Amino acid sequence: MMDYLISLQSLGSFVLISFAITFLACFTMHYKTKKKLKKYEKEFMKEFQKLTAIEKKEILDNSRIVRKIFSSYKQTI
Amino acid sequence: MLNYFSTSNIFNFIDILMKFLNSIFFVVLIIGLSFALVLSPPDYLQGENVRIMYIHVPAAWISLAAFSSIAFLSIINFVFKIKHTLLISKSIGPIGFLFTCLAIVSGALWGQPTWGTWWAWDARLTSMLVLSFFYLAFIFSFKIIKNDNLAIKVSSYISILGAINIPIIKYSVDWWTTLHQPASIKLSGTTSIHSSMLTPLLLMLLVLLMYSALIFLMKYKTEIIKMKKKNLKKL
Repeated sequence: MMDYLISLQSLGSFVLISFAITFLACFTMHYKTKKKLKKYEKEFMKEFQKLTAIEKKEILDNSRIVRKIFSSYKQTI
Repeated sequence: MLNYFSTSNIFNFIDILMKFLNSIFFVVLIIGLSFALVLSPPDYLQGENVRIMYIHVPAAWISLAAFSSIAFLSIINFVFKIKHTLLISKSIGPIGFLFTCLAIVSGALWGQPTWGTWWAWDARLTSMLVLSFFYLAFIFSFKIIKNDNLAIKVSSYISILGAINIPIIKYSVDWWTTLHQPASIKLSGTTSIHSSMLTPLLLMLLVLLMYSALIFLMKYKTEIIKMKKKNLKKL
């Protein structure tokens, strides 16, 4: 298969370049989006930590989303 | 019934869907690449260069579908003032822009060996370039305009105005004499592409659709977290 891919290079360098550009662009976007998501999760948790213990408990009891963010943040640290 | 569409249920569903897509994405990617680069035959006229089609065509389809969805959601938001539609279209915007750029770049890489030129001011190519400008204007309207209500209005106008360009892109090859070939795959009518090439094309479409869904879900999740962060005290 590797031989076949190398032979493709002589037949169609345009093919390999277009596939390479696509994967590079897609990988970059995936990396940046994931990084941004983690950043906002972290910022959310920072804001959450500033609350009083009673407020925290109340929010955790009432909001399923906060509980989810809290657990996913705990998994990453 | 409406309770199913509550933010917490959507948030939960996003996580489940992301896990599912992550688990099968690489398998589908390997199958798609094997068909696109190895198993599909070269074209009798274009040779190996025809393989660019497996990137170019799905990218162009996704870019058109993404902008159509943004325009549709903007109209819904305009009429019914549903905030979630805005979060969804905001998350779709960068994906559509990425695929518009990829369609243009892969088209140029395909054009050079087949037409002998990277670019021509032809109706299809120019209208795709115009689409990329509409995407840029839509994305930057949220970044530049600080007033939320004004940003929503401006972005909605941009997307509704940009929607006029969608049928122009689609029918440009029929309305004008262009360098770009007419559509080979038609929803109504006969498809003039052999199944040995149609299979990898549809597989690569599936790969890029799954990738788009993954990015969209991450972006949508980020938007929900941003919104929740703003209203943390009110929770």
